[in-house]
Amino acid sequence: MKPSLRFLRAATAALLPASLATAQLAPPPQAPAADGEKTTSLGRQYEGIVNIECNTLEVDYRTPWNPATPGGGSGTGFLIAENLFMTNAHVVSDASRLIIRKVGDPTPYRARVKHIAHDCDLALLELVKPAAAFSTVEPLKIAEEVPKLDTTVKVVGFPIGGERISVTRGVVSRVDYQEYSHSGADQHLAIQIDAAINPGNSGGPVLQDNMVVGVAFQGYSGDVAQNTGYMIPTPVMRRFLKDVEDGKYDRFVDLSISHFPLMNPAQRKALGLPEDGDLGVMVASVDSEGSAGGALKTGDVILEIDGHAVESNGSIDIDGEQTELAEVVERKFAGDKLSLKIIRDRKPESVEITLKGASHYLMQANRYEQQPQYVMFAGLVFQPMDKPLMTVAAPGSLRSRYWFQYFTTDELYREKPQPVVLTNVLPDEINTWLREFSGQIVEEINGVKITRLKDVSDALQKEDGSSFHLIKLAGEGRPLVIDRKQAADAQPRLLQKYGLGASAYIE
Amino acid sequence: MIPFRSLLTACLLAAVSPLLADDAASPARSMLRVNITSQPYNFGLPWQKQNPGTRRGLGALLPGNRVLITAEMAQDASYVELEAAASGRKLTGKIEAVDYELNLATVIPAADTGDFFAGMIPLAVDSALKPKATLDVWQFEANGAPVVSPIELNRVDLAPYFLDDQFFLIFQATGGVQYRAGTFTLPVVHDGKLAGMLLRYNSRDQVADILPPGMISRFLDDVAVPPYEGTPNFGAKLTGTLDPQLRSYLKLKDVEGGMLVTGITPGFSADKAGIKDGDVILAINGNNIDSRGYYNDPDFGLLAAGHLLRGGAKVGESVQLKVARDGTTLNIPCTLLRRNPEDYLVDPYMFDRGPRFLILGGLLFQELTQNYLQLAGREWRDRAPFRLVYALGNQDDFLKQGRRKLVFLSGVLPAPGLIGYERLRNLIVTSVNNKPINDVKDLAEALKSPTDGIHKIEFSDFPKVIYVDAAQAELDNKEFVPARYRIRELQRLD
Repeated sequence: MKPSLRFLRAATAALLPASLATAQLAPPPQAPAADGEKTTSLGRQYEGIVNIECNTLEVDYRTPWNPATPGGGSGTGFLIAENLFMTNAHVVSDASRLIIRKVGDPTPYRARVKHIAHDCDLALLELVKPAAAFSTVEPLKIAEEVPKLDTTVKVVGFPIGGERISVTRGVVSRVDYQEYSHSGADQHLAIQIDAAINPGNSGGPVLQDNMVVGVAFQGYSGDVAQNTGYMIPTPVMRRFLKDVEDGKYDRFVDLSISHFPLMNPAQRKALGLPEDGDLGVMVASVDSEGSAGGALKTGDVILEIDGHAVESNGSIDIDGEQTELAEVVERKFAGDKLSLKIIRDRKPESVEITLKGASHYLMQANRYEQQPQYVMFAGLVFQPMDKPLMTVAAPGSLRSRYWFQYFTTDELYREKPQPVVLTNVLPDEINTWLREFSGQIVEEINGVKITRLKDVSDALQKEDGSSFHLIKLAGEGRPLVIDRKQAADAQPRLLQKYGLGASAYIE
Repeated sequence: MIPFRSLLTACLLAAVSPLLADDAASPARSMLRVNITSQPYNFGLPWQKQNPGTRRGLGALLPGNRVLITAEMAQDASYVELEAAASGRKLTGKIEAVDYELNLATVIPAADTGDFFAGMIPLAVDSALKPKATLDVWQFEANGAPVVSPIELNRVDLAPYFLDDQFFLIFQATGGVQYRAGTFTLPVVHDGKLAGMLLRYNSRDQVADILPPGMISRFLDDVAVPPYEGTPNFGAKLTGTLDPQLRSYLKLKDVEGGMLVTGITPGFSADKAGIKDGDVILAINGNNIDSRGYYNDPDFGLLAAGHLLRGGAKVGESVQLKVARDGTTLNIPCTLLRRNPEDYLVDPYMFDRGPRFLILGGLLFQELTQNYLQLAGREWRDRAPFRLVYALGNQDDFLKQGRRKLVFLSGVLPAPGLIGYERLRNLIVTSVNNKPINDVKDLAEALKSPTDGIHKIEFSDFPKVIYVDAAQAELDNKEFVPARYRIRELQRLD
């Protein structure tokens, strides 16, 4: 089983006491220069690196009508331009209040999120009131290139183990694609380093020659793997910064295909390639609503992507570095073109694809900054299927697990863009016989096909002359029958009894 | 055959039970030890069997030198031995008949019996036994001495015998039973007649589940007249109608009970009789069904109505169903048919044989079995490959698509022709050489027609399609696979 990555945000108890804000740092002592770096005052050198304290509101998808639970944590951030701090999205997600603290300055500065990118775990913050204390601080510079293997890097931040700024050092151990665990559904380039990274380091800069080469963001706990921390490398940081230049974040684009290496001579021959060659990968599946939908199909061979030759294991060469072919797409934006040389039905062809972001997979990604949606009717709680729901709810029926896992792969979104689950039955005399039915996907209500949560409330409001509401669940032959008159009487009683402010919240 | 009574046995019995007539049944004269070495197939590596293990149980001697045991004991038997408890004499036996659903099997001698059965007294089956009675559970001590434990029969219900989800009549009894010498399957006797087989015993509550004599008789009658028929299946899901809102919607009268029909399996009893989703069965053969799904059985009192359609019915028998449909009442005759394990997309159980499989140059294709999924351990429903678990749970969807069995690539034995495919596993095969694959025989057939010497194999999941060099695969099947993996049997199609 795959070990799970953990975040490096330091969790704290709910509502940090304000007095903590005044316990602050004296300038750290000067250290001798190392690795040929220019000698600067450590105080000055790290001035742009700040501690971020985040109070959060965490929602509970089991009781979607409840206000959220206050919580909090802290992480690191760094100044990259005037009144602009970069950190991880997971440090500031679901924030109710943000405080930035500067090394050697006890003042808590209130901050707010300017841009947040959950798919690549980055965020930009600004101070609510620009402070003079930062006017003289030199912003950190972001390096042009990805650091080379086995070169030394420093991680600077505010991890657990003390109050003051911490510096650790290590080498670049590996450059590879990794799942970004903040979203749980995105993969991007990530760099593994062996410097100690601990909770609280999240969002902090990784430095080489006083330039930022990455943002520390996740790692394995010590009982899984030793000395493996990951940072978000500069191509991902730069893409994020470029994306928000127009004032809003548009997410990464994706080709939405899977591809299979072409190592097997018979496979190569059948697809019209030289048997002993080492170029080309086979397109396995294509999301028909993704960027490549209609342009590529199963069995196509990709030979070249934007002029980069694709090797039979799916790697390409960008600026002398071996990387995955997806990296070409990673650096592009919605509306950008991608040109492919392919072999289809044994004949060479050229294909141009206009890139767009994938959206259906978001159902399988973690959610932030969102109030959970629901409809409660006659004690029956309906919620849209998504990752947080499937995480907190019991595994559910075999069918709902299938819908969740194969939502994009089997293109189930075509049938139901937002599957609705009967998640709970709040006990009342009206639903005495319906309690065993939770965990199932709703198929139809009063003759209306349910494809999204809005359909549920619409269908329940529909008058069809019958004295019953009729609810059909997927794979369940017995309909749920609710007397219309009794349901109308029960609604205020249920709202009051179970403390719901409203019968529904639909975006 | 005239039983030969040995003096020794007679004396011994006289000491135990002086009132017993010397031709009466008794543990020593009517019960045998049965030792069965079972060797199930390996469902991950279907060309081989698992480590053999031996079970020791007790069997009831029936007329004609037949010994009745449970099917649970008989499963995957590769060697069967009958043992006289007192003398320790052994006789090689063989399984004559087995029904895994009814959890019963008979053992007969494999060869000449000599005087092995001399002095033994077969048991008759007490098929008229009523639920209130005192029964004796028979066992042997390790030294062969009989142990008799009385229990009180007091309850009747439907419960699984051996396989999950297969509900049949059981008798429940209370009383102290001490298990001896690690045996299971204990004959239960009433008035010198076989009154059941003890299936389970809960020592904390002192409750025993007994497979009742009526079910034993139906099994033996079925065995006596080949071919063996087994029990029928109604082929639909039945649920109670207690919910007043549901009843009102179904236009059911308050005095009626009834069970709602849902999920009809195409092509089986309910479907063929014209029963529809949403019908409510009010009575079966004149027995009214209440809204919990129970009827009043003349012998056993309140009993789940499923008994009338399965364990209490015969294959081919026609039952009269009183059905409420849309406010009217209909009488519908329904011929009860049997759904054999092979009739399912995934056999609900498989004993005494391995799964059908085929090896193509190291690619291992199998028909999906529940046993395969169970290799993932106790939590297999959560741990086994989800796509396959889902197929198991939604078989009818696949059957409607015309599939008979689910053929999947269970794994790859790395071989010269399979470079690049080593990590493929648990992939459902949709077609081979553009021919749909509905069982392993289809696969064998489709592999006869490669295009330009290359097989095209398509899956429902990543990587969707692979190609295999036909000549290389044939060569690897001949040389590499037998030599390197020591596999002699490259396919099992029947």
